[in-house]
Amino acid sequence: MMAPTRGLRRRLLALARPRRQESLPIRFDRRRIYVLPTRFGLFFATLLAVMSVGALNYNNNPALLMAFLLAGAAVASLVSAQLQLSGVAITAVDAEPVPAGQPLHLRVHARVDDRRPRSGLKVDYDDGGAAGLAMRGGAGEAVLELPTRHRGWIDVPRLRVSTTWPLGIARAWSYAWPDTPLLVYPAPDPVAMPLPAGSGDPASRRLQAAGDDVHHLRNYRTGDSRRAIAWKPSARRGALLVREFEQPAGTDIDLDWRELHGVAHEARIARLARWVEDAERDGRRYRLTLPAQPPIGPDRGPAHRHACLRALALMPDG
Amino acid sequence: MAEHAAPPLDEASRRWALLVAAVCLAPLLLQLPGPTSLAIAATALVITGLSWRRPLSNLLRGVLAVAIVVAVSAQFRFEFGRDTGCALLGAMLALKPSETSSLRDARSLVGFALFAPFSTFLLDQGPWSLALGLTGAMLALGVLQRLAAVEGGMPPERFILPFQHALRLLLLGLPLAFAIFWLFPRIATPLWGVPGRAQAKVGLSDTMSPGDWVDLLADDSVAARARFIGPTPPKSAMYWRGPVLWEFDGRTWRRGRGGEPRPPSFVPSTRRWTYTLDVEPTDRTQLVALDLPLSVPDGARATSDYSLRTTRPMAALTRWTMTSAQPQSFDAVLDASQRLRGLALPSGHDPRTVALGRELRARLRDDRRIVDYALDWIHRDFAYSISAPVLGRDAMDDFLFRTRTGYCEHFAGAFTLLMRAAGIPTRVVTGYVGGTWNRLGGYWMIRRMDAHAWTEVWLQGRGWVRVDPTAAVAPENVYDTLDVPMAEGGLFETLQAPGGLGQVGDWLRTNWNDMVLGFDADRQSRLFSPLGLRRMDPTHLALLFGAVSSLALGLMVWLGLRGPRDRDPVLRAWHRLDRRYARRGLGRAPHEPATTWAERISKARGPDAVELRDLAARFTAARYAAGVADGASARRLVRDLGRHRPS
Repeated sequence: MMAPTRGLRRRLLALARPRRQESLPIRFDRRRIYVLPTRFGLFFATLLAVMSVGALNYNNNPALLMAFLLAGAAVASLVSAQLQLSGVAITAVDAEPVPAGQPLHLRVHARVDDRRPRSGLKVDYDDGGAAGLAMRGGAGEAVLELPTRHRGWIDVPRLRVSTTWPLGIARAWSYAWPDTPLLVYPAPDPVAMPLPAGSGDPASRRLQAAGDDVHHLRNYRTGDSRRAIAWKPSARRGALLVREFEQPAGTDIDLDWRELHGVAHEARIARLARWVEDAERDGRRYRLTLPAQPPIGPDRGPAHRHACLRALALMPDG
Repeated sequence: MAEHAAPPLDEASRRWALLVAAVCLAPLLLQLPGPTSLAIAATALVITGLSWRRPLSNLLRGVLAVAIVVAVSAQFRFEFGRDTGCALLGAMLALKPSETSSLRDARSLVGFALFAPFSTFLLDQGPWSLALGLTGAMLALGVLQRLAAVEGGMPPERFILPFQHALRLLLLGLPLAFAIFWLFPRIATPLWGVPGRAQAKVGLSDTMSPGDWVDLLADDSVAARARFIGPTPPKSAMYWRGPVLWEFDGRTWRRGRGGEPRPPSFVPSTRRWTYTLDVEPTDRTQLVALDLPLSVPDGARATSDYSLRTTRPMAALTRWTMTSAQPQSFDAVLDASQRLRGLALPSGHDPRTVALGRELRARLRDDRRIVDYALDWIHRDFAYSISAPVLGRDAMDDFLFRTRTGYCEHFAGAFTLLMRAAGIPTRVVTGYVGGTWNRLGGYWMIRRMDAHAWTEVWLQGRGWVRVDPTAAVAPENVYDTLDVPMAEGGLFETLQAPGGLGQVGDWLRTNWNDMVLGFDADRQSRLFSPLGLRRMDPTHLALLFGAVSSLALGLMVWLGLRGPRDRDPVLRAWHRLDRRYARRGLGRAPHEPATTWAERISKARGPDAVELRDLAARFTAARYAAGVADGASARRLVRDLGRHRPS
């Protein structure tokens, strides 16, 4: 697929292993680890060459010995750079889905299967960010930012795990191209349209994390919003307390694709995504009905929200 | 492979880079003349101080660079020699700290700093330079390691860590480095000439005038070391011949030019002396040899008066193997041009000496009687002193008839002039006489202070005959009567002998010279002669080099693949035991405690594995129970773990 004008580097990169995506875990072995000198490495090599030729010419053995000792250390550092990578395996990549347009925080998990310590590992990808991969106790994790543009599945780019350890004169690197797709939610409509009217019993009152009337205080549970924490009572009790409010929860909302006729395809998706977020924020139950699939819900909570946004993200292009 | 923009340098790394550059520069400064060194050191300090907060502007840096190049060159009077080049390099390195804001700057500073030990070795190959230079190089590697860690986003937790890593790399690279050092094909003839030093050390020179050897005679550094193979000549016959001086202008003796390079003819006596001569670097081409060498060694040529010149300056330690003999007759037929040069008198100088010579000829007639008479006179009326009075315009007249006090230069010069006036062809020979026996190493140290001048007179039928007028006055000063018996001694006996410490030091130096400094293409080709390989040609050498360096690389990879060793011997033995079981597919799962694993194995393998259960219990107790592990029980456990085999 490479256009011939993209330059030699592109073509060389295309030759590098792996040439297609592969499934995790991906273990680096010597067949797919590349080692080349860095720019400083070329300078260092020139320096050693000048020293050796000068010393050989003058038959000056101390100078020669020093040049060769440095050369020996340099070769050892090439070997060492290769060994830093070999045996490292990328076990998983994942990311919390984000709305399109926001950067995806790609977590790369790595593990080693031997007892040698690894240092100075770095993960990056073409034209993108880089992150350190600190290996402690045989495992490590790097978090990379990945820009997103469209909703739906995006492919993980070909990741480069590299190191210039231990002397900075050579870079050893290896590519990992996991076939794990990552989900990107649709970007919600920036304009807040009022939620459609609901149906069902409007009189039911539910305990909410937000509202006007404080109902009571209860113990903190993981996942509670920080804003709901009642700091002063918490300080008195020595344990975190959370306010709960009593509010009319309103009726279940019906988010129906068909109701939005007259709106463009992508705009409909954006509007529905926005409504899902709004309904979730208000703590109301909602049902999402999309063409050619059974309705989702009514329900609320993170899992329901994810199911709805996922369905919206994967809507076929209009 | 996009190189990301180099991250900025942290303050600690920057300090380390500057410190290491200073350490690398230090041995070079010790080798340069004092004022130059001081100037370079001061410049380095000022530049570092000025650019501490923000880098200097490019314009200022350019001006400083030009200024310091001019200043350093001026100190060497704009003569470009090896030392000038090294001083310029030092000066450039002193300017380098003006930009140390990024990682790249720090790396290039450390890289350039590595040239400082290199140029130190070009100037001096002594043990101190070597120790300081190699230390500098090692520290530089440590800083490069530190910079790589900073680049990787993980600055070292303790400052010592990068140096440990660097040391480990050096050790890993050591087998390869030595393989290259001894087996990489050496060049027998240099690709380009070796520039000499603009400011030379004292040594034998091509000229001699009264009083200019005072520095030389006070220098007790070793000029050469001689080791005899077989018989050793008596000390009074140990005349190491150097430059032969013919021309005299009333003040200075010179080699002069003239005479075609005709090989002299001589009949050697039957006593032969074979020896090797390790000549310390002099940057000159003058080689000395005991009396007359029977053949000219490779890399040297003989002049018509049989003094040896090397084909290129001896900038590094060189070794020469020669067989010499005293001549029975030497140039028995004197050609006309040599006779003319051997009789030439300076015009308008030393009238009294010339008159005395002519009178001796008229009175005694026979050459041999004239020589004997003159030696008698010198023996009777002259005194030896290194602090000779200053001589006037007619220097030889002054010496022979007024001061009558002097040292070898005066005696040799005056005697030659007198003989020439009497019609006997005579020339001045300079070189070394004698040497100091090193008991520990069994060789002779020839020091610069052993420099000497004597004469050779041409006698009908015998040719050139050595006459040493100084020996007629003060033989003890010529031959060093403080003669230690030529016994070989052990370290302690040598230390107790007078000057013993110096002898031991010189012996260590000699061994270093033998093993490292004196190694060259010739010795490389004879590297395996003890194994029966007489000479290796470059192809063999290249093959051997390839094989050995592959082995060294393999060793490096193997060592690199090994994980860190467990510090606890008990744990080490336990892991070995675990690996033995793992080879049979019975390895311990990572989550399994030792006793649980042993339980599982012994259930599967039946009663044979009871021993394993016992071992696992003892291992657990030794590792985790307080107060159980003492030295003896731990050793027993290690032994038992080592003996156990899966049943």
